[in-house]
Amino acid sequence: MSWIWPEGLYAAVMIGAFAAGAFRLKLPIAIAMSAAAVIGALLGGEGIPIRHLVEGAFGYIDTILIIASAMIYMKALQKTGLLESLAAFVIRKFRNSPLWLSFGLTGIVMIPGMITGSSTAAVLTAGALVAPVMMRLNVPADRAGALIAMAAIYGMIAPPVNIPAMIIGGGIDMPYVGFAGPLLACTLPLAAYSAVTLVYPYLRASGGGGEQLEQELRRMEKVPLSARLLLPVWVLVVLMAGEQFFPDVWPALGLPVDFVLAALSALASGSRFDPLEAATEAVRDSLPVMGILMGVGMFIQIMTLIGVQGFVVVSALALPSFLIYLAIATTVPLFGAISAFGAASILGVPFVLALLGKNTIVVTAAVSLIAGLGDLMPPTALAGIFAAQVIGEDNYFVVLRRCLVPGLVTAVWGIILILGANGVAAVLY
Amino acid sequence: MMRQPAASWKTAILLLLLSLFVAFVAARDFRVMNAPDVFAPAEGFARKMLSEYFPPLKGTTADTPVFIREGKEPGGTVLILGGTHPVESAGILAATLFLENASVPRGRLIVIPNANAMALTHNSPQEGHPQRIHFALKDGSTRVFRYGSRATNFTDEWPFPEIYVHPASGQKLSGKERSNLNRCYPGVPDGSMTERLAFAIVELIRKEKVDLAFDLHEASPEYPVVNAIVAHERSMELAAIVTMELEGLGIPIRLEPSPKNLRGLSHREWGDSTDVLPILMETGNPSQGRLRGRTDERLVLTGEDKAYVKAAALGRLFIPYEGNQLIAYRVARHVTAIRVFVENLEMVRPGKGVTLEGIPQYEEILKQGVEAFLKPVPKKREV
Repeated sequence: MSWIWPEGLYAAVMIGAFAAGAFRLKLPIAIAMSAAAVIGALLGGEGIPIRHLVEGAFGYIDTILIIASAMIYMKALQKTGLLESLAAFVIRKFRNSPLWLSFGLTGIVMIPGMITGSSTAAVLTAGALVAPVMMRLNVPADRAGALIAMAAIYGMIAPPVNIPAMIIGGGIDMPYVGFAGPLLACTLPLAAYSAVTLVYPYLRASGGGGEQLEQELRRMEKVPLSARLLLPVWVLVVLMAGEQFFPDVWPALGLPVDFVLAALSALASGSRFDPLEAATEAVRDSLPVMGILMGVGMFIQIMTLIGVQGFVVVSALALPSFLIYLAIATTVPLFGAISAFGAASILGVPFVLALLGKNTIVVTAAVSLIAGLGDLMPPTALAGIFAAQVIGEDNYFVVLRRCLVPGLVTAVWGIILILGANGVAAVLY
Repeated sequence: MMRQPAASWKTAILLLLLSLFVAFVAARDFRVMNAPDVFAPAEGFARKMLSEYFPPLKGTTADTPVFIREGKEPGGTVLILGGTHPVESAGILAATLFLENASVPRGRLIVIPNANAMALTHNSPQEGHPQRIHFALKDGSTRVFRYGSRATNFTDEWPFPEIYVHPASGQKLSGKERSNLNRCYPGVPDGSMTERLAFAIVELIRKEKVDLAFDLHEASPEYPVVNAIVAHERSMELAAIVTMELEGLGIPIRLEPSPKNLRGLSHREWGDSTDVLPILMETGNPSQGRLRGRTDERLVLTGEDKAYVKAAALGRLFIPYEGNQLIAYRVARHVTAIRVFVENLEMVRPGKGVTLEGIPQYEEILKQGVEAFLKPVPKKREV
């Protein structure tokens, strides 16, 4: 029985079909993914399994709803004038302390990710708030987008909520307890590194801005920042925090409902806008990424059905032991092209089990950090796509290119933590 | 408003029609999963519903049949729960073998073959699992069992919280774990559907004064707790006796203590909330593993998988895997372990012994297959 036949062929054909569809025929990525899934199913002798294709697409129903509702929320903030007004406030407050400003902006992006466990939520909420601040202070758009994407991923991985670590823990029956220290060790140094390398030099060079900036600030403050204007932010904070900190009494509404309620509250925040127009624009903007997720869902379901998933995972585990760390650093983020959470489940669990001799909590935290990088991996690249959107850049590869160095540093830091897991645990516990 | 070209309308209508077709075909496939599995209980079993122990469950999708067989001679009460995770087919089938073959001269036997009926009505997205498994019986008929999902159907449990905070302990888990019955014990009477189901099962254990309760599972071969018994500290003495006896019968099995800090699981919460001796058992099932290759009914029934052969050669598995994990072997392990537990119950609970007869032996199941001990059911009710 040959190891690579026929699953190796299936894998090559599915990936080849996707690449040909997306790059040669210039099909939308969603269509190219779906077509590659259908071709894989046909080749694997499954015909056109409509049930499997629909079932696979439904794997992302929650993510899709979060994206649609978060985009509506972001549009509402934009239409009320809050984004510009808040950006102006932050610039006035901190423009003379560039180092603290760069740390502060990074921290602001991380917070929604820390609370929700979602990099998408972090980019579309706090990322949308800090993007105009950075750009007004002469930070190039690609660097601003890269910082937002990286900070959102670190926020998603930082405590208290880290869903990839919970998924891996669920796979090996390890409670999500004692993770705060290792997760902070995973994320805080990297967040500081990204802030200092990506935006600090530009914030310092801006020198607090000149008369031109002052004029711009006055324009941005046309809608004055007030508690009422901030209403949608307060509503969202209360809804998210309520669910996290008072789960016994707070109804579990879920992030999509939280975003929609907060977006509705924007109607009472002072500035008028047409909610139907805002919602239509938001959904239209997010349709391509929602389509990609559905295509990816079909792709992964067919991969599993015809045996490609097992082929990929066991091939990664079959690497020589000295290469296993390299495999973690490469295959986990690469699989994140399909889904960061999927990478945590499908590859993260076997890798953590393969490293049982090391402190499992630290290893899991570090693998979850590396899995988080999956949100930078095209075609899904949720953090990259939405970071590009909040800086107004059509081509998300512009942001992804700028994320390359911090992404590599993140993977290396994750591997260092795995290698020294027992030492890290000795210091932390 | 700009006029749309005719071609755009045509494309839109064509895509809408295509969507309707896909929705129709998929919906038809998904709805079939709502038809319940049919069982043929042995003579003497009375059929109740779980809602009789917790009335708010009545009329909900969580309600599930409970079969009770009362012996002539008084004794203890044994509960066998299959289908906590419907993807772990050996649990459902082992419970079914007791339901369809057992006579009970002493004590009582309670069988719930489909513990989480809400998890039987769908398959998990992106798993590529089959919807059903089939067994050909000697009389030419076929028995069909749904394969289902590990988790409660989205339609019963959605929306998930971002984080599932286990109500009794405050333990935090990924939000989707709220739809996992074996993370929701001891349950919450006004909680989510899965939490209510867990509460109802604990109510049954209390009201029926169950002495010994089994939660039958399967695990992926790469998971450390596999081919194992997990026992609450109260069950540990009995479990140790059984482990030794099973070793003597040539059935090696690990004995794991129920971790005190891992909450929401049957082996922990049943024991902490009631007087029962809780036992959870796992066999090795490649069709639910992360390393599996082609995913289909054949894999569920045979466990034959070249990906697992390679993983075994790499030393990545926690079971001895020699190319297959037949369903007959996995069911035989569960059935035999339960039989040995019940035979020794009197030793740890004097006066509470239970006698079971008619249960197929380990070698019989291996030789004749599970299908030899399944009874025919009326054809028109088959799914």
